[in-house]
Amino acid sequence: MKWTGDLAHFPYPFKGSTYRYSNNSIPMKQPYCIEVTSSYKKEMLFKRKLLSDHPERCYQSLPHSITGQWEIVEIVIDHLVSQYPQDFSIEQENNRWIFTNKILDEKKEFIFGEKNSLPCEPLFFISQHVQEDLIYMRQRDDNLYLDAGQLCFPANWSLAFNIGMKFKSIHHPIPGFKEEGLDQRILQFLMRLEAGTPWERLNWSLMAGDRLDTSLETFNQWGRLRKQVTSENAGELVHIRVEVQKLFRLPRTNSILFSIHTHLLALEQLATNIEWLQQFYEILSELPDHIVEYKGISTYKKAVLKYLEKQLQQVKTL
Amino acid sequence: MSMDAVFIEGKRKYIFCSDEHGLRVLSSVFENVKKEKLAYEWYHFSAEKRECLEEFLSKQKMGTFLYVELPYSELHTVQMMAKRIGFSSDETQYFGYGEKWISIFCCRCHELNRAEEQQTGLTCHQCELKLEVSDHYSELYHAFLGYPATG
Repeated sequence: MKWTGDLAHFPYPFKGSTYRYSNNSIPMKQPYCIEVTSSYKKEMLFKRKLLSDHPERCYQSLPHSITGQWEIVEIVIDHLVSQYPQDFSIEQENNRWIFTNKILDEKKEFIFGEKNSLPCEPLFFISQHVQEDLIYMRQRDDNLYLDAGQLCFPANWSLAFNIGMKFKSIHHPIPGFKEEGLDQRILQFLMRLEAGTPWERLNWSLMAGDRLDTSLETFNQWGRLRKQVTSENAGELVHIRVEVQKLFRLPRTNSILFSIHTHLLALEQLATNIEWLQQFYEILSELPDHIVEYKGISTYKKAVLKYLEKQLQQVKTL
Repeated sequence: MSMDAVFIEGKRKYIFCSDEHGLRVLSSVFENVKKEKLAYEWYHFSAEKRECLEEFLSKQKMGTFLYVELPYSELHTVQMMAKRIGFSSDETQYFGYGEKWISIFCCRCHELNRAEEQQTGLTCHQCELKLEVSDHYSELYHAFLGYPATG
C-alpha cells in the first residue's frame, strides 16, 4: 500500500549521513498511541481480513494477559476519542461501555473487564479499529515478556514464534545488538518507562514491493521480489518501510503497550524531495554490511544505489 | 541440567518422578531421603499418566522439592508443566536420558519438526518448506526457529 498522503507528513526517519542501531526514542509531543490516516478504511478492511484468515499468525496471547488487554482497550479508546472526536465516541455507564466507530459505521456494547461481553479477547477487539499493530509487554522478574500481540504488518518476524519471549530473546537475531550492549541498555530504558510519559521512535527498512504484511510466514510470497529489482524499476518497486513505534506504560499491570504504525513510500516518491534523496543515498552507500544483511537489502542494494545516483545526476543537470 | 542428582536438605517433602527406566540418577538421593526418614512420594510416570501428573503436582505444598528423570522426549513437557504450576528452578532438578534431539519451528506453518542437535537444514514435514536452522530459541516451544532456506 503506497503512501497517498502529503509527503510532508511522511515519517522520514533519517538524521545525519550515517545510520547505526541505537536507542533513538524521543519523548512524544502528542501523547497518542494511535493515528488515523487517509488510508484508514482500506487498511482496516485488509487488517480484518488477515485477522480472520490467519488468526494464529496475526494474534497471540497468553492467558494471564487479559487484565493488561483491558488496559489497552481503555487507553486506545481514550486516545481515539480524544484525538478524533468526530470519528469515535464512547458512552460509559459504570462498566457498561458503548464504543462507536463512525468511520466504519459500527457500534459495540460491552462490559468493561468482562471477557465474555466481547466475542473475542479485548486486544483482538480493539485492534480491529486501529491501523497500528499492538504489542503487549509484561514487566516481571526484572524483565519484559511478550505476553500478547496483534501483528498484521510485521517486518519479517513471527509473532507466533516470539510469543512468551523475553525482550533480549526477541532481539537475539539482530547482529551486533547484544555485542554492543544495546539490548541491555534498551531493556533498562523500557523498564524505567513512566506512566504518562510516552516515548516514540522510528524504525526503517527497505523492501521490494508494497506489501504491508511482510510476515516471516509469507516470506516465500514477497521475498522473491528482491531478486527482481533493477536500477530501472527500483523507483517504483522498492519502498522505504518506516515504523512509527510508540511506547506507553500501562500502570495497572505495570506493563508496556508498544504500538507500531507502518508506512510505505516508493523510492520514486522519496526522490522527489532532493534533500531526502541526497541523504538517503549517503546513508545507504555507507551502511555497514551486517545491517544491510539483516534488513534484507543485500540482494538489491547495488541496483538501488544506481537508481539513486541516476536521480541525483538528473537533479544536478536541471 | 546437571549429570548427577544432588540431595537438597531441609525440604518439607521430596517428589521423585520417573519412568521404569529412569531410576538410575535418582537412586542415591532417594536412598538419602529414606535414610533421613524424610517425607517423599514416587510418581511412576507413563505417557498415559502425563495429565494426572499436573493435578498431582498442583496439589503439593510450598517447600516441596521435585526430582524428575525422564526420556528427553518427555522431559520438556514436564519441565513446562512444573514451571506453570509454580515450581521454581531452585525447587527442581531435571535429568534426561535417551535420544537427544531438538525441535525446529517452521516459520511458515508453525509445525514443530524433530532434528538432530547438529543439523543445519531440513524440510518441514507438514508444509515441505526447506528450512535453515537458526539459533533463535523459544522457551515456550522449546524450539529453534527454522527460516526459509536461501541456498
